[in-house]
Amino acid sequence: MSAVGTFLTRRRGGDRWDWTDIVTFLWLGAGVFIMFGPALWLVLSSFKSPAQLSEFPPTLLPYEARTAVVEGYDKPLPLFVVTDDSGTRTLAEVRRVGTIAQMVDPENPATMERINIANRTPDRAVGFSWGNYLDPFLRFDFLKYTQNSIFVTGVATLITLLTNSMAAFALSKYDFRGRNTVVVLIIATLMIPLSVILVPLYSIVSGVGLINSLWGVILPTVATPTGVFLLRQYMLTIPDELLEAARMDHASEWQIYWRIVLPLTAPALAVLAIFSVVWRWNDFLWPLIVLSRQEVYTLQVGLNAYAGELNVQWHYLLAMTVITMIPVVLVFVFLQRFITAGIAGTGLK
Amino acid sequence: MGRIVLKDIRKTYGAVDVLKGIDLEVAEGELVVFVGPSGCGKSTLLRMIAGLDRPTTGTIEIDGVDVTARGAADRGLAMVFQSYALYPHMTVRANMAFGLQNTKMAKAEIDARIAEAARMLEIEPLLDRRPGQLSGGQRQRVAIGRAIVRRPTAFLLDEPLSNLDAELRVSMRAELSALHDRLGATMIHVTHDQVEAMTMADRIVVLRAGKVEQVDTPLGLYNRPANLFVAGFIGAPGMNLWAGRAGASGFTLDGGQVLPVAAQGATTLGLRPQHLRLDPAGPLVAQVTLVEALGAESVIHADLAGGQKLLAVLPGQPDLARGASVRFGFDPGHAHLFGADGLRAAA
Amino acid sequence: MAQVGAWVGAVITAPLRGFARLLDVPLRVWQRLAGQNGMAAFFLLPNMAIFGIFVLFPLGLNIAYSLTSGGALFLADRNFAGLGQYQRLLTCADYTNLLSCQEDQFWTALGNTALFVVVQVTALIVLATATALILNRELRARSFWRAVFFFPVLLSPVVVGLIWRWILDRNGVLNAGLVAVGLDPVNWLLDRNFAFAAAVGVTIWAHLGFFALILLAGLQAIPRDLYEAAEMDGTRPARVFWRITLPLLMPNMLVVIVLALIRAVQVFDEAFVLTGGGPGTATLFLTQYIYEVGFASLLKNPGLAAAASILMGGVLVVLTLLQLALGRRNERKAKLK
Repeated sequence: MSAVGTFLTRRRGGDRWDWTDIVTFLWLGAGVFIMFGPALWLVLSSFKSPAQLSEFPPTLLPYEARTAVVEGYDKPLPLFVVTDDSGTRTLAEVRRVGTIAQMVDPENPATMERINIANRTPDRAVGFSWGNYLDPFLRFDFLKYTQNSIFVTGVATLITLLTNSMAAFALSKYDFRGRNTVVVLIIATLMIPLSVILVPLYSIVSGVGLINSLWGVILPTVATPTGVFLLRQYMLTIPDELLEAARMDHASEWQIYWRIVLPLTAPALAVLAIFSVVWRWNDFLWPLIVLSRQEVYTLQVGLNAYAGELNVQWHYLLAMTVITMIPVVLVFVFLQRFITAGIAGTGLK
Repeated sequence: MGRIVLKDIRKTYGAVDVLKGIDLEVAEGELVVFVGPSGCGKSTLLRMIAGLDRPTTGTIEIDGVDVTARGAADRGLAMVFQSYALYPHMTVRANMAFGLQNTKMAKAEIDARIAEAARMLEIEPLLDRRPGQLSGGQRQRVAIGRAIVRRPTAFLLDEPLSNLDAELRVSMRAELSALHDRLGATMIHVTHDQVEAMTMADRIVVLRAGKVEQVDTPLGLYNRPANLFVAGFIGAPGMNLWAGRAGASGFTLDGGQVLPVAAQGATTLGLRPQHLRLDPAGPLVAQVTLVEALGAESVIHADLAGGQKLLAVLPGQPDLARGASVRFGFDPGHAHLFGADGLRAAA
Repeated sequence: MAQVGAWVGAVITAPLRGFARLLDVPLRVWQRLAGQNGMAAFFLLPNMAIFGIFVLFPLGLNIAYSLTSGGALFLADRNFAGLGQYQRLLTCADYTNLLSCQEDQFWTALGNTALFVVVQVTALIVLATATALILNRELRARSFWRAVFFFPVLLSPVVVGLIWRWILDRNGVLNAGLVAVGLDPVNWLLDRNFAFAAAVGVTIWAHLGFFALILLAGLQAIPRDLYEAAEMDGTRPARVFWRITLPLLMPNMLVVIVLALIRAVQVFDEAFVLTGGGPGTATLFLTQYIYEVGFASLLKNPGLAAAASILMGGVLVVLTLLQLALGRRNERKAKLK
């Protein structure tokens, strides 16, 4: 809020308000609303009960109907605020017949009143349907999906970091014939998307028996040219004298890679690790093709399958969407600096 | 231990000859300095001795063993790099221990060696810091310490002082010399700074364009430069080198002045600025163009008749003004004579 | 925070370090035998093997697939069909009426993608430039505002699609807003035009921050003193934009445009989750067509999908070469400075 405050007092050159100040103000205000609004709405909606989700117009906050335990009735009864000739009071509904509801005063359960439903509104308070979050894990396969997604993300990122950094090391610190060919090859394939090679890739993955295996999702994604490129650019800045000093220190080439170059590449590795986690967590098309059995679904594929059902259970779907969003939001909150620096520096995503 | 012999070392990169046949012997315990202008091949030569580069042809022997085909790690040498090449992510202690650990040395022995080197170099308080937290001079010491703990047969130093400021360079120069005396180990030191070479070396190797121009003691180089290049390179300010021709009456400069020097066959006469003196009867007549008064001495820039430049370093603060015509004299014994081939004339 | 990070890092890398130490002995032997070039080969091998098997090899294989017909998955079981698949994709009885084409779905997808590319990239670039310009002003808490626009970039396409499906639902919050101001609710995702517009809008929403960020980096590289000089000259803001900002931003801008084109040609995930290609084929794009033909439909035709993907790949290769050429030119210019 203080940002808005200081913003209001900032003007272009001097005391006058400039039109550009107004545009800036409107743009940033709209930006906050449009960029954060939808995600916030998703989170709020995910706590609503199915009945509430089908209400139109929707309420901003999730509510739960209040109930009361009334003497003589086994179940808790829903409460309503009734306004009619005899004033405003809170009654519990026993049963409803047509437009008439039979209601009792919880304080005085003996007398039954007949109330037209037009004269009453549900009595409710802000409340969260935690069941939206618990049920999919307990009753459906979402726990499994989550495990699969974590496995794919973790393993793919580790392999990416290892193989990419090894290749980048070879391409930045050794002089061998054909090195430039390899570098050109890698740059040329920087932009080749998976969608161009779906068919043959599927047949290869199928040929090595990795259809419906998480490894079939992992392997085609780990040899990212982007990663090799990013790490190589960084390693080129490490002075060769360090490597020579290590060679004179009896270090083997593997030790030079592992003990000298890799620790010094840590900033670039961190950027690649963050990107890799986001990429692999968000991957959709390729897992959608490779994984056709429920038990190997990742979260993204599971969500999509769930959203494609004839009768979409939005209250579960929204909650699971929030769950899927959480790791990325955490990355955003804590590591946003690295990512923006990485993108601004290399134009990679 | 530590005798290094180079035999006909040549190195070509593509069509470029970087080293054109170098023969050299470094005796045990000697401090040899390679000096020369940048691009002369002195660093390349050092890297070949180290084993970081391979010569195209030629052999390198250490203590009588041909090590030409051996890798850098297996020659028993230690190198101090120009940038120090300290591992930035390791503490000073870890930097010094790294090479020893790689040879599977016992931990107690490693600790003992580090402690000894740290005491010798007075870097004990720095052992747990990282290179980034050290000053330039401290890094320099650590780099030397990393070399010392290896107990190498010889130390190779690649312009180790060039990253220090002038004041520090002078004191490190003295320390390195003292260290050499103490360790008694062979050292090869590369520099482009002739003052550094003169003050530190037992012997100096002057290199130019991939060839050895002269190998001698510092004073040997100063007093008897073997050719024009060495004459101009050693000594500051540089030696006056005047073209002319030898005759019966002496050496006649291109401007017409005749100098009383017996100079058979010489085409260039060299005279150090310090060896000129004001002499109303002297044979050199010159017009002063600039006087740089430094207090204890003055550097006089002047033009000789015929356009050749004269540089003189005179003691004290002589009263000379720009445009004044001055006569200089010198002791003929100080003159250096060079033939048309650039080599020192026989006399 | 940093300490926790270091600690977590140490725990994760502990087994890796042990592994690395074990590897050292055999690798020293290999280094003795194979020399430094042999070690280079060792370091390249894992990445290049995976890269070769899963990227390069399929790239070549794709051409072979596009020349075959039938439903079999493995190339050995398929029939050679020459250019039949390309013929099938591109033949129309009457090129003014796309319904007369043999593969009218392909043409629909092609048309949709073309329209999408033009509309989406134009709007995206304009909005991203405006956002970058505004973020480049002297703002308090600029990194906060930058983060605001960047936030959706990290979200998964499925999440993006679902968020907007929920908002654009017939009973969704957007219609509630319309009703609140006295308008009629709209069936956003069941109307051809609105659905297409939604696909454009949602992809812009998701990627705006990325492009704004690159443009912002370009803007920040423009020396401040140029603006100060212009201010001293009393130059109007609009003129400053057209004569100083835009020309100096142009190198970055071109790269951003090509990048946006490359992405737009491949549009799939967000739109697929949002509309599933519908209503009808209103938002059927090329990648989805390839996916449907090759994998999802009952009568799979891998050859046809391969042929279509090669045609799409051709466009992408042209754009990529353009991208590399621009990048190299920028580098050269930067060096000249």
